[in-house]
Amino acid sequence: MDVIIENLPQYWDGFLRTLFLSLVSGIIALIFGTVLAAARVSPVAALRGFSMVYVEIVRNTPLTIAFFFAAVVLPRLGVTFQQFEVAAIIALSAYTAAFIAEAVRSGVNSVPVGQAEAARSIGMKFSQVLSLIILPQALRTVIPPLINILIALVKNSSVAGAFYVLELFGQGKQLANANGDAVMWVLVGVAFFYLLITIPLGYLASVVERKVAIAR
Amino acid sequence: MTTQVPGDALVSLKAVNKHYGQLHVLKDINLNVRKGEVVVVIGPSGSGKSTLCRAINRLETIDDGDIKIDGKELPAEGKELAKLRADVGMVFQSFNLFAHKTILENVTLGPIKVKGVAKGEADKDAMALLERVGVGHQAPKLPAQLSGGQQQRVAIARALAMKPKVMLFDEPTSALDPEMINEVLDVMVQLAKEGMTMIVVTHEMGFARKAADRVVFMADGQIVEDATPEEFFTNPKSSRAKDFLSKLLTH
Repeated sequence: MDVIIENLPQYWDGFLRTLFLSLVSGIIALIFGTVLAAARVSPVAALRGFSMVYVEIVRNTPLTIAFFFAAVVLPRLGVTFQQFEVAAIIALSAYTAAFIAEAVRSGVNSVPVGQAEAARSIGMKFSQVLSLIILPQALRTVIPPLINILIALVKNSSVAGAFYVLELFGQGKQLANANGDAVMWVLVGVAFFYLLITIPLGYLASVVERKVAIAR
Repeated sequence: MTTQVPGDALVSLKAVNKHYGQLHVLKDINLNVRKGEVVVVIGPSGSGKSTLCRAINRLETIDDGDIKIDGKELPAEGKELAKLRADVGMVFQSFNLFAHKTILENVTLGPIKVKGVAKGEADKDAMALLERVGVGHQAPKLPAQLSGGQQQRVAIARALAMKPKVMLFDEPTSALDPEMINEVLDVMVQLAKEGMTMIVVTHEMGFARKAADRVVFMADGQIVEDATPEEFFTNPKSSRAKDFLSKLLTH
């Protein structure tokens, strides 16, 4: 137990970095994922194709590959960054966006097709149909899977620890090396700080879900 | 068939064909609807009458032929199509009111977002329309809180708010309980009297007799008869129409 209390500053440091990584990647992934989902249901075949290929490739390859790509391949292509954190954010958002796209797409499909037809018949453009009619209604069914994806994102951010980003897991690794006799407690501490983010997220899901319920 | 001058047609379909895979749902459809005319399309289910109605604002695409609205060719996807649809009001069998918007918002959304009307003005116009169809006091409610008949009248108001040149009705009373059918038909009869151009797919023969200028009878994807209601109901020419009408009258 003592090992946790003695090293609270490191834990706190890692916790904040994990929170930061998750928050920034989460926001980027939400935006990018929604754009991908919109492309997937758009009338333009090229956009549909791009979205489908992107989602299928990214969703079906391990996150570690995305990290290697961002941290090793991108710099060779001329995209360089001062900190590995940027690479971590790129990898996490690119990866998570694929899952968000699928969740949003299933939400879009859950809205009766008549809603879109009615919107089109009063002269709305595709972008208006989507943003004014479909997405607000899709939100209700999308919230639970979206929160699941965000919880996974928080945990996935631990992969960054293996790429020299001292987030929660990275700090935990260092602490475990320094305190070989108390590895178990070090890891309990790490788990505790992850739970500090993920459990409130789950709670948030149920609150939001009740808020956005639509009667049919 | 009645002869028409295509020049003054508000809606004109020429040699329109459509297939669903093997099924030939619209076979060489020619139809002209003049301004102010009320055309009722009837026929057995599966005859293609709903498809015809939906093709007119391109909710269904067609394989060949052309459809013109007010002399303009129906555009493919995109801004032009959206613009044209704003001129064509559509009322659906299942109402399709926007479930997350209030009754008032359902009616004002089109004018505000598509036509750029100011909110205050749109609200005022919408309230007048809602009063006209008899649901003014329901304005702040959500669609799910209204009866089917009320919802369908709101749907009519929503379409009218765009000040359309023509109104399409795709079986507007088929999903309603019997006691609610009349309240919707009354609104439609009133519209017809006011000179709205209407194409109505329906099974309500009473409405056809009362409000239609022409009855178009469809069977197996073809227009079999095109006559005045009087002519059609008292003296149908084709055996398909005779057969159809006799089935209606047996119960």
